[in-house]
Amino acid sequence: MIATELLINLESIIPRERIKSGQNQHHHLGNNAQVSVFPTTEEEISLILKYANNHGKKISVMGGGTKRGFGGLTESVDILLSLSLYKGIVEHTVGDMTLTVKAGTTFYELQEYLAKHKQKVSLDPTWPEYSTIGGIVVANENGPKRLGYGSSRDVVIGLRNIYPDGSIIRSGGKVVKNVAGYDMNKIFIGSMGTLGVVSEVTVKLRPVAKYESLILISFKEGSIDEILMFSKALLDSVMEPVALELLSPTLSEKLTGQCTFTVAISFEDVESSVHYQEKFVKGIQPSGTEMDILSESEAQYFWHLFYTICPNGAKESAGEETEAALKIGVVNLNVLSIIKESQLLQDSYNLVVESHGGLGHGLCQVILKGSSQKVVLAIRQMRETVLKLDGYLVVKHLPFELRQKVDVWGGKPSHFFLLEGIKSKIDPQKILNPKRFIGGI
Amino acid sequence: MAVKKIKTKDKHIKNLATIVGDASSILYQKVDLLAYECDGFTVYKHSPKAVVFPKNTNEVSALVKYCSDNQLPFLARGAGTGLSGGAIPLNNEVIISLVKMKKLLNVDLENRLAVVQPGYVNLKLTNSISDKGYYYAPDPSSQSCCTIGGNVAENAGGAHCLKYGVTTNHILGLEVVLPNGDIIELSENGILDVPGYDLLGLLTGSEGTLGIVTKITVRILKSPESKQTVLAYFDRVDDGSQAVSDIISAGIVPAALEMMDKTAIEAVESAAFPVGHPRDIAAVLLIEVDGIAAGIDEQINQILEVCKKRNVREVREAKDEQERASWWANRKTGFGAMGAISPDYLVQDGVIPRSKLPEVLKRIEQISQESGLRIANIFHAGDGNLHPLVLFDARIPGETDKAILAGSACLQACADVGGTITGEHGVGIEKREEMRFVFNDEEIIAQTNIREVFNPKNLLNAGKLFPTPGRCGEIKQVMKEATTVS
Repeated sequence: MIATELLINLESIIPRERIKSGQNQHHHLGNNAQVSVFPTTEEEISLILKYANNHGKKISVMGGGTKRGFGGLTESVDILLSLSLYKGIVEHTVGDMTLTVKAGTTFYELQEYLAKHKQKVSLDPTWPEYSTIGGIVVANENGPKRLGYGSSRDVVIGLRNIYPDGSIIRSGGKVVKNVAGYDMNKIFIGSMGTLGVVSEVTVKLRPVAKYESLILISFKEGSIDEILMFSKALLDSVMEPVALELLSPTLSEKLTGQCTFTVAISFEDVESSVHYQEKFVKGIQPSGTEMDILSESEAQYFWHLFYTICPNGAKESAGEETEAALKIGVVNLNVLSIIKESQLLQDSYNLVVESHGGLGHGLCQVILKGSSQKVVLAIRQMRETVLKLDGYLVVKHLPFELRQKVDVWGGKPSHFFLLEGIKSKIDPQKILNPKRFIGGI
Repeated sequence: MAVKKIKTKDKHIKNLATIVGDASSILYQKVDLLAYECDGFTVYKHSPKAVVFPKNTNEVSALVKYCSDNQLPFLARGAGTGLSGGAIPLNNEVIISLVKMKKLLNVDLENRLAVVQPGYVNLKLTNSISDKGYYYAPDPSSQSCCTIGGNVAENAGGAHCLKYGVTTNHILGLEVVLPNGDIIELSENGILDVPGYDLLGLLTGSEGTLGIVTKITVRILKSPESKQTVLAYFDRVDDGSQAVSDIISAGIVPAALEMMDKTAIEAVESAAFPVGHPRDIAAVLLIEVDGIAAGIDEQINQILEVCKKRNVREVREAKDEQERASWWANRKTGFGAMGAISPDYLVQDGVIPRSKLPEVLKRIEQISQESGLRIANIFHAGDGNLHPLVLFDARIPGETDKAILAGSACLQACADVGGTITGEHGVGIEKREEMRFVFNDEEIIAQTNIREVFNPKNLLNAGKLFPTPGRCGEIKQVMKEATTVS
């Protein structure tokens, strides 16, 4: 009955064929809704928000759906606002190396387009064929190459945000350097869609590197100290790796066939520079390790595989096994402790645990597969380890039911009142992605 | 040493002095306050109520709490090098000077971070770690005296931000005293992406209106293996601009790409660090490439080729470190050099899409002709950040106002082509009204709403950053008149 009324009201905003009821009601990852809408214009998005705001309807915002299992303690809301049809390049001035794109454009589409101009957005999210640029930005998703290229907060220069009252608020601009007013872009990046709907993203671009290679060094099990020594030597050198990622033996086996702790080092530069750096790494290669150098398409293929290791919320349930993904932040070199701990969890809880972490930036991803009960226990144990290192653990992917048992965000900071204050200024009725973010925001 | 005594009946002065320990940590007599009437933006001046010099975070917190409880306006100040008036006490503020909080608290080379107090001078950080092969990347021209606390407030940039980013890209953690005196820690140990809205990013560049930063964790970088600088002289500005675009389009990411025009060259060659730039050229480009030595030559050769294709009169690499350093000293002292050719100058800070460079430079030339004032251009061409320097003589009645309006017109020209009004100097009080060139009323309110969350009483650095309602029309009218002056 309520759904019927909702449908009728939405039909006055958006054509019937782009409204679907029933489709998104029972997904095991939650973030469901009675009705899904697929706007194709900014005006439609604005009107939908305005309608919801005026009528107390709750909205869940979705791009490609890869992060459906990321946060959210409300099983079902009124409207699922999908941006999957709001896509395309808005503006690209090749010489300026800036680009404005609609939020629903997938990362793959975007990079394919830019590749023609030998340019790229220097982010490396998981599932590029599914992930949309809007989702990547609002979930602040990035990968190992953050070491060399930074994250959304370094790449995004402007946003168009549609506020719950329907107003369109621009933040930043279209130039690469800008300190006019508050840097409002920053509060939307990583906000999990709780402040507004990002409709357009303006990014600064980088040239595609002229040459790339990937060095894989596999260490014998238990040689954590050796990895530490090696990483310190590399980090203290003038070499410029764009990624320096430690892979757990289980993940390494999946990607390289070698069940050992493996360090993946990525270089992107002109060819002579890359070879010079490869030579340097060979020179400091610890004895008893094996080294493999993949160049160009081989390296690209490795990364292509790498970006599919994380559970994808846009795919149907993988089966009986529970899958979880964790994002862990620690001080850079503590990554070693996290990856080591993840390997121990695998044995003590009889799970499959694949993990990796950036030795130059301190961010790790841990993927757990197994029985739901054990996954929950392992997450709790991992959080204890992380807290001892003064780090944080965020659950990036977990079925809705289990999100009731594990605190996705891990407690509130002492300055939580400021976060609440920002939320209540922008979305006082709390219509957007309710309870999706830290502390129930 | 005898402790100075407070010679005033003002109870607030006495109470503030008690918080900072003694009378030597407070200034309140008119003559002592003169130096604090303005910062690097000298057009407006106003006297503060007092200047206090806390020694630690607890004292800052207590001072702030006292001001807040007693409805006393207050603001924070570093070295006072800001160029947009952010530290000018418009409302007779109590100035909380952070110059005594100038320690380097920690350096962690392995994890590539350093922790400093806000009064720590930018260049000192690089100097203290350079022997180990590390440096702090943001390099505003004033880096030998500006403080990192001030850099955070302004989100300062610099010549080498093209490749390495501005201050916000290098801040990992902050300790902040909120406007009610509460102390908060944002990513205390420098860990990335801590859960929650990115307050670190919001605070950086908020021009001291959301809180007072009392401790800063910054990222430090390994010094590049090699760097090389190329200098190129052009007879036409258009050729120089086109060369800039060509270099970027060739897939090169220079560490810095700077340009100066004829008037700017006249100034730098008349000042303390002349290097022999010909006076008759239209533009000089300084292009620096850094990174792995093995890759530098290839990029330098490409740059030389590009410049030759664009009719360069002369292009060459620095022959040694000494020459490289002299070119940079010549460039980095460019603003001050204006003193050699003009009694006063006003520096602007617009940003444009790189491809609009020729168009905007023509417009600035027009503004110069219309206002009758010379305008020199020194700019970070690689990222489109222009610094038009409006030359004037404040002793001539009306000329200061004319210069302000010409500066504003330059910013309008930047905004008109899709650019912005400030790339690194901040809005302060100087560009408050110009905020309307780039944001509509709703967008400005969206920002002041955020300020209310942090600074609900608006006692901290009030009157900065945002336009005053109602003044907008008036200013536009004056501007219209000014730009039609023949």
